[in-house]
Amino acid sequence: MGISTISDWTGQIGELVIGATRSEGGTRSRTLKVGGEKDLNGIGNAPLGYPAVVAYEIADDPDLWPAVARHAVGDASSDPAAWARFAEAEIRPDLIRLYCTSTRRRGFSDCAAIRKTVEEVLQATSLPISIEGSNDPAIDSEVYQKIGEAAAGERILLGTAEAGRYRSVAAAAMAYGHSIIAQSPIDINLAKQLNILLREIGIPRDRIAIDPYTGALGYGFEYSYSVMERIRTAALKGDEDLAMPMISSAVDSLTIKEVREAEGEDADRIAVAWELYAMLPAYLAGAAIVSVRHPETVPLIRDACSSLFQVHPGGGE
Amino acid sequence: MHRGKLDHKKGISMNDVDKAVDAGKAALKRRLEGMTGSFSYEETAYHLPVTFALTGSPVHDRNEALAAFSAAGENPLVAAECLAAGEAAVSGREPAPYTGFIPDAVLRTLGYSLVDGSILGLALVAGTPADPIEAAGLCRELQEKYMLTFLSGGIIGSLQSAGVRVGTEYRLVPLGSRPSSAIHFIDILARVAMMFGGVTPGDATRLLSYARERAKAIAIVFPGLNEEEVAIIDTFRVLGIPVITPGGYEGGSWVPVRIADAVRTGMELRGIKVNVTAIPIPMACSPAFEGKSIRKEEMYVEFGGGRSPAFEILRVRPGTEVKEGEVQVIGPEIEDIKEGSAVPLAILVEVAGSQMKKEYEPVLERRIHNFVNYGEGSWHVAQRDIIWVRLSKDAVSKGVHIRDIGVLLAAKFRMDFPDLLDAVQVTLITDEKAVLEAREKAEAVYLERDERIRGMKDTDVDTFYSCTLCQTFAPNHVCIITPERPALCGAITWLDGKIAYEIAPAGANQPVEKGKLIDLERGEFEGVNRFVKKASHGEVDRCSLYSIMEFPMTCCGCFECIAVMLPEVNGFMVVSREFKGETPSGMTFSTLAGTIGGGAQTPGFAGISKGFILSDRFLQAEGGIERLVWIPSILKEEIGTRLRDHLKAKNLESLYEKIADEKTAVTIEALTEFLASVDHPALGMKPLI
Repeated sequence: MGISTISDWTGQIGELVIGATRSEGGTRSRTLKVGGEKDLNGIGNAPLGYPAVVAYEIADDPDLWPAVARHAVGDASSDPAAWARFAEAEIRPDLIRLYCTSTRRRGFSDCAAIRKTVEEVLQATSLPISIEGSNDPAIDSEVYQKIGEAAAGERILLGTAEAGRYRSVAAAAMAYGHSIIAQSPIDINLAKQLNILLREIGIPRDRIAIDPYTGALGYGFEYSYSVMERIRTAALKGDEDLAMPMISSAVDSLTIKEVREAEGEDADRIAVAWELYAMLPAYLAGAAIVSVRHPETVPLIRDACSSLFQVHPGGGE
Repeated sequence: MHRGKLDHKKGISMNDVDKAVDAGKAALKRRLEGMTGSFSYEETAYHLPVTFALTGSPVHDRNEALAAFSAAGENPLVAAECLAAGEAAVSGREPAPYTGFIPDAVLRTLGYSLVDGSILGLALVAGTPADPIEAAGLCRELQEKYMLTFLSGGIIGSLQSAGVRVGTEYRLVPLGSRPSSAIHFIDILARVAMMFGGVTPGDATRLLSYARERAKAIAIVFPGLNEEEVAIIDTFRVLGIPVITPGGYEGGSWVPVRIADAVRTGMELRGIKVNVTAIPIPMACSPAFEGKSIRKEEMYVEFGGGRSPAFEILRVRPGTEVKEGEVQVIGPEIEDIKEGSAVPLAILVEVAGSQMKKEYEPVLERRIHNFVNYGEGSWHVAQRDIIWVRLSKDAVSKGVHIRDIGVLLAAKFRMDFPDLLDAVQVTLITDEKAVLEAREKAEAVYLERDERIRGMKDTDVDTFYSCTLCQTFAPNHVCIITPERPALCGAITWLDGKIAYEIAPAGANQPVEKGKLIDLERGEFEGVNRFVKKASHGEVDRCSLYSIMEFPMTCCGCFECIAVMLPEVNGFMVVSREFKGETPSGMTFSTLAGTIGGGAQTPGFAGISKGFILSDRFLQAEGGIERLVWIPSILKEEIGTRLRDHLKAKNLESLYEKIADEKTAVTIEALTEFLASVDHPALGMKPLI
């Protein structure tokens, strides 16, 4: 699909590389490139960047994970390494995102276990990896140090930096050569401010993915859409502090009432629909990485995005 | 000359730093020339890091060492590093607990803590202290202040004898038994710069600027250094590292201190600040409470607001006169005050900081308003000597004292301006006589400040300032602040904008080059248009500073007043926020505000500050203040005297009475009739449309 538009964009989205192959000092089977767009996704005639990257999310502590996503993979969810292996073989996402949900338990202190989990997941899959660490300033320093070190050389995408607590994530990225996810609460100004803070601490632009935070459909998604669109147009108009690829994750989609209360066969159908119909417009609004938790959403969102993606000569890989 | 002179207090000999440096440099060079064999550090990708960072050359033997030494301008650090590596190659590492050269892997985690903020800076402590107990105290202070400390020489034994544990896990890293091991402090710094600071090997300029600007390091030196070691540590100063000595050395640029002041002095010199995290007062403190008010019946005590004399002032003082966190109350405290009474109050905030300037005072002073309102049970309005402050019954019943306002202010100022302020002390006066005395002095300061902006014209400057603070809710709004046009909220003048930019160069107030003049009457400038286009994300192409009819400035929602064109009477009305009634435009303030706010450009309407009405630039393109036909009486009273003076200066004295208010006209019909009856000049002016 291509809609002919006349636009005088002056900016271009920067490129971000995730994953490092053996020749680059890592152990991944491939690298992923995102960004590079010169126009809005799905419309316009300017050469687009790279195709959407579809990420599949797993957790190290499945008790803190939506039941519908857990049940869809059966026993595999009980062990993060097995889950990652299963994901690569059966679900075939472009990127695996590991959430260290264990760190979200009260009184968490076993940072050595995080290290082990990260190492095992990296061994279990050769796909590029993104890892979400803790979200508690009291343990961030240690958790991110461990994750960063365990994944040294793999050029992972490390999340999540926020305005109030970005130093540990940034430090781990700088010390061990990773990229980071910079999240702001559905606010273009805070997104920009965080990027400036990250720049000041020494994170290069080409190692940041913006996460504008994505609300669930019917639960504020339209705000996310609008902010993503504005971040994208600001970037295309030349605002370099916002010209990074965006990641959108359907984090809230599986916890809403409609999904929680669905029963039987409906449960999967509704979960997939809610993820798919949030992530597709998120892609249109500018997301380069779309991230889901239900395995059945992965092929659907990929097909949907590629039907909108206009490959240009010499374009995506 | 001073060599060997006795310090009578301590009975030890004093080294003259300058002399020792010269002799030490020569000795290092001699020894470097005499080196033999090959040498290198293990477990590092940075060769000999200091030498590699400075020159870009990996060094493995004497000839390479001499070449690098000469390339680095005979830098003693290069010589010291080559010699240290040479010695390690011959005699191996020193036994535990000494670390010697620290491998990259360990360093990565150390660098991590620096970026991460879990350590605030790096300290080197070298030499042999006379009193191990005092030295232990010093190192404990460094630990408490989140400094990662490296130890070289006799200090390590001293600490152990005083029962202090050393090791990386205690943030006290024992580098080596001799002070010359201090060179490892610099190889750490150099590697941090290359690993985290993006410094390329060989780019000595980048390395030096990284070390000076980003690396927060200090050196504290005890006696016992030989000439070479003095020369090595003296060179640290090139990297911006202050060298502090509690005794044993004199001359040079080493800073003599009492041992008890060493850590504080070093941290101050290097601008390392311990963050304030919690405010110890018995009420919650957050911007979330900023919007709440304390009504009369909820109030325990009030200050000012016309009921008692009250004022606030913030002054900058030399560091020696400000004691960090000190709060005093002079006069009655809450226990001495009857519920429901009005009490005099002076809020005196004194700040110190090497970057702090006198010009910043008013900008910081305005923050008192926000900060007091952050308190759940404290409330504040207005500024200077017209402040009005209340404490709630609820807060007082939970134990809040007048003193707590001071604690809150001291802490918040330090939290919000960590780079600017080193120390903040607050004095609260509640004794009437003392308040009145202090107020007199404060008024002289207010006057002096006012004189600075008064009389400044837009034509006097080449640069205006922007304000995009409100883009959080009006994303495309851009305020342009000029000497004659304050921000539409009335809170920021051109000078304030200039200062805010100095304090926070990446903040919401940016300099705007005027550029080429496009239209004098409308106040349109190429540079302003260029800035507005960019800052409004392409939404607004043109902006006239002195016109409301063509390309007026956008509005956020904070405007003090709204100016509205009234075509029926060929003039403008201005309504202020306080006026709740109907206006001749057929709309109330809030309806108008809803129509024009949110960052839109609305010809015929403009959000303005009260002060702008009194500016010569007000309605310049439309014919000036003669177009003003209506303002609410509350505003007329407020600016009355100044408005009369302003009109008098323009020979328009009679205009004052011709400007209608809600008492003379609420509808446009009544206004038309009134203006005709007084022969308002607007009626005879060129038609607006």
